Amino acid sequence: MSVPIDLSALPSARVAASGRRGTSLLIHAAVFIVGLVVICAALGPAIAPGSPDTQRLLVGDALPSAEFWAGTDLLGRDVLSRTIVGARTALVGPIIVAAGAFAIATLLGLLAGYLGGLVDTVVMRWVDFMFALPGPLVAIVVVGVVGGGYWTAVAVLVALFVPADTRIVRSAVLAQRPLPYIEAARTLGISKARILFVHILPNVLPIVCAYVVLDFAFALVNLAGLSFLGLGVQPGTADWGRMLFENRNILFSNPVALLLPALMIILTAGSINLIGDWVYERFSAQ
Amino acid sequence: MIDSAQPAAGEFLLDVRRLSISAVTGGERRAITVGTDLRVAKGETVGIVGESGSGKSMTAKAIVRLLPANVSASGEVHFGGRDLLALTERELREIRGSRISLLFQDPFTMLNPLLKCGMHIEEVLPRTPVLRTGRQRMAEVQRRLAEVGITDADVAHRLPFQLSGGMGQRVALAAALARDPELLIADEPSTALDVTTQAEILKLLARVQGQRGMSMILITHDLRLAFSSCDRVYVLYAGSLLEVGGAGEIEREPFHPYTLGLLLSEPPAAKRVPRLVAIRGSVASADAVAGSCSFAPRCDWARESCRSARPPLAETEPGRFTACIRQGEIRAEMQAMRRRAFENGAAAAMVASADTAPLVRVTGVGKIFEGRRGRHVHALKEASIEIHPGESVGLVGESGSGKTTLGRCVVGLETPSAGAIEIGGITAADYAALSPAQRAQVRRTVQMVFQDPYSTLNPRHSVRRCLLEALRMAGGTAPTDEQVVALLREVGLPETYIGRRPAALSGGERQRVAIARALAVRPKILVCDEPVSSLDVSVQAQILNLFKRLQEQLGLSYLFITHDLAVVRQVAERVYVLYLGEIVEHGATEEVMTRPQHPYTRRLLESIPHSAAAGAP
Repeated sequence: MSVPIDLSALPSARVAASGRRGTSLLIHAAVFIVGLVVICAALGPAIAPGSPDTQRLLVGDALPSAEFWAGTDLLGRDVLSRTIVGARTALVGPIIVAAGAFAIATLLGLLAGYLGGLVDTVVMRWVDFMFALPGPLVAIVVVGVVGGGYWTAVAVLVALFVPADTRIVRSAVLAQRPLPYIEAARTLGISKARILFVHILPNVLPIVCAYVVLDFAFALVNLAGLSFLGLGVQPGTADWGRMLFENRNILFSNPVALLLPALMIILTAGSINLIGDWVYERFSAQ
Repeated sequence: MIDSAQPAAGEFLLDVRRLSISAVTGGERRAITVGTDLRVAKGETVGIVGESGSGKSMTAKAIVRLLPANVSASGEVHFGGRDLLALTERELREIRGSRISLLFQDPFTMLNPLLKCGMHIEEVLPRTPVLRTGRQRMAEVQRRLAEVGITDADVAHRLPFQLSGGMGQRVALAAALARDPELLIADEPSTALDVTTQAEILKLLARVQGQRGMSMILITHDLRLAFSSCDRVYVLYAGSLLEVGGAGEIEREPFHPYTLGLLLSEPPAAKRVPRLVAIRGSVASADAVAGSCSFAPRCDWARESCRSARPPLAETEPGRFTACIRQGEIRAEMQAMRRRAFENGAAAAMVASADTAPLVRVTGVGKIFEGRRGRHVHALKEASIEIHPGESVGLVGESGSGKTTLGRCVVGLETPSAGAIEIGGITAADYAALSPAQRAQVRRTVQMVFQDPYSTLNPRHSVRRCLLEALRMAGGTAPTDEQVVALLREVGLPETYIGRRPAALSGGERQRVAIARALAVRPKILVCDEPVSSLDVSVQAQILNLFKRLQEQLGLSYLFITHDLAVVRQVAERVYVLYLGEIVEHGATEEVMTRPQHPYTRRLLESIPHSAAAGAP
């Protein structure tokens, strides 16, 4: 009598297994959505059914029709075209924020984690200070006072995102630093710069990349929020956050004008978050 | 303990038949063990001996069905007349913990860090009428702690982190015994502990087992330890049993070439031999050797018949099983090999002439670490050592003795708080204070080999990149692939390894690359911090032989840091014994090991496992 134990038959194992399959489906959906947004951002006006800026004051705010699939806003502009073209500001700003925060945080985190001492103290106290600031409020005040709209907002977000990333890079570096391969390099007399950038950096990069993806999602939501408050893009620009602001009064005459950009923000940010989590899990499993 | 003779059928408490374990990773099924038969009689101690990847721990976990989610087992596990593999989880729970109990390697991962030691025992005590009130149960906890040799009543109220490793393992044992199990499975119960504590825990296990008449399965990688504490031994290699028999009989004459190889590659503590008998290659995975004798790729006696089918475990003498189909033919040869290795005679240790100036002179070095809440930890107090050119010096001590700190001070990874270090005539206590030229010269004199082979190489750099970088530090012309190949040859690796990443290397191979990296700058002395303790026994001997060969060929000196006296005996001509940051004894290795003066050295020597037939051929 031979009884094989098939652990996948146990209820808990089955839940876990189906959970995993569910995740991979979600990942596919997330990648699809992000891919769609990227195509819209890249091609924009070329694939939009009409011009995003043409005003039809006589049409005004109308419900979706055969001509305008997502209806029109107060000025009679095509909501669908505006949403497609709006993908550009939805992607470009967050990409710059994520890349900028990544570059600065990696440098600061590597130096603080490896050199320790005074450098570490200065960098980490600055990080603590930044954590104590109410981020969104700082963004609103700075953009409001300095002006400059979208690009100022992007710059402020970079500054606000650097501290958290710095902490992550630093702790990853601290985990690598006592490992024998680093100590062997030190014993051989290899320069600090080479140890930092040739030995440590490639080994902390995967985890940092995973966090950068998450930065992107946060930046998307934050920039949309600032645009909604009128602090982001110039009035009239096709931008999801701005559309929320402009179309909030026509919620009952053409709800799609408000809900479509809102849905896009939620879907894009959510998808990116999922992808970030997935990337992180893949790397931490290795 | 019972007589080592095979008990009659039907007396077995545990009867495992054709236990096959396999794991699924990334959609691929991978065999861990194939058809293991294992029997444990009442009151018997059975040892499962195997190296990494042999499947010994998984076998233990399969018996109590505690396998990870991606691992499954098939076969039969009869315990007290029931097949454990066929029971429901609820039925199994009545057996696991109360009739079969487990003890693992690291006590601190077994104990809940937030639960007081007494509570660990109290929560598993049976709820009988005699143990109803809190007072009765606390008294029972104290009695259980006394059984494992803890008489300090205060221990029950301490948290696990406040205990030493040995104390923690005692508490874990008391908790494992709280339900009075009939079978205790101990998985490397002493491996994570210091040498002297190891001996105490093993003695304790044997005592408790004898007093209770309990059965025990002892899982270990250490053949010597299994011989000294088990009645019968199962030798597991790459998922298949290669030899089964009484501990004394196997030790007297192993029937399988693998067992013989393991026995011979273990460095003897009693004498120094010129060369250890090493098994070539490295431990195979069960799948790589499926359908043939699992040891065939590493066996000197392997024939075509060994590779065509997996040889079954056959009874060659009463109670003795071997999976070697050629055992009858090669028996005499194996005996001769054993005899040769034994008669190999004590090699005279090379003694460096004292009139040469020492290469490294450490004088009165102390190191104080800043502990928590401003407390100072004296890792090292006034340690003085000398290493002469071409000489190998051992530094022996347990964890916390400061031996690693001393080694790190020499290579400049730590800066001593007091004292002086002189390397090749340059004062090098503080590397940061040296001029760049002097620093470079010191680094070309001293290099280091680290313990953990798995993190000693940058996982993202190939062997070529790693060694080229090291060669570049030697100065001179731009290094070439030829130089890399020459280095690889020096450490006994083929040139095809040049393009490999660390992930594609075994532990022993990684350690060889690490040695090659250290040799790249042509150092005069290598500081080796436990360089073989993380390796499989069969690979240890290869690396120790490599160290010996390099010393002869290159005239290298070593500072060999280790807790293992048998290793020191093989490689070091002089030895320093370090205890709580102080050097308590030093002298020629032979002298110190045959006539130890300090009580601590004597305790270290006594803790080496001895069996009845120690070392006899």
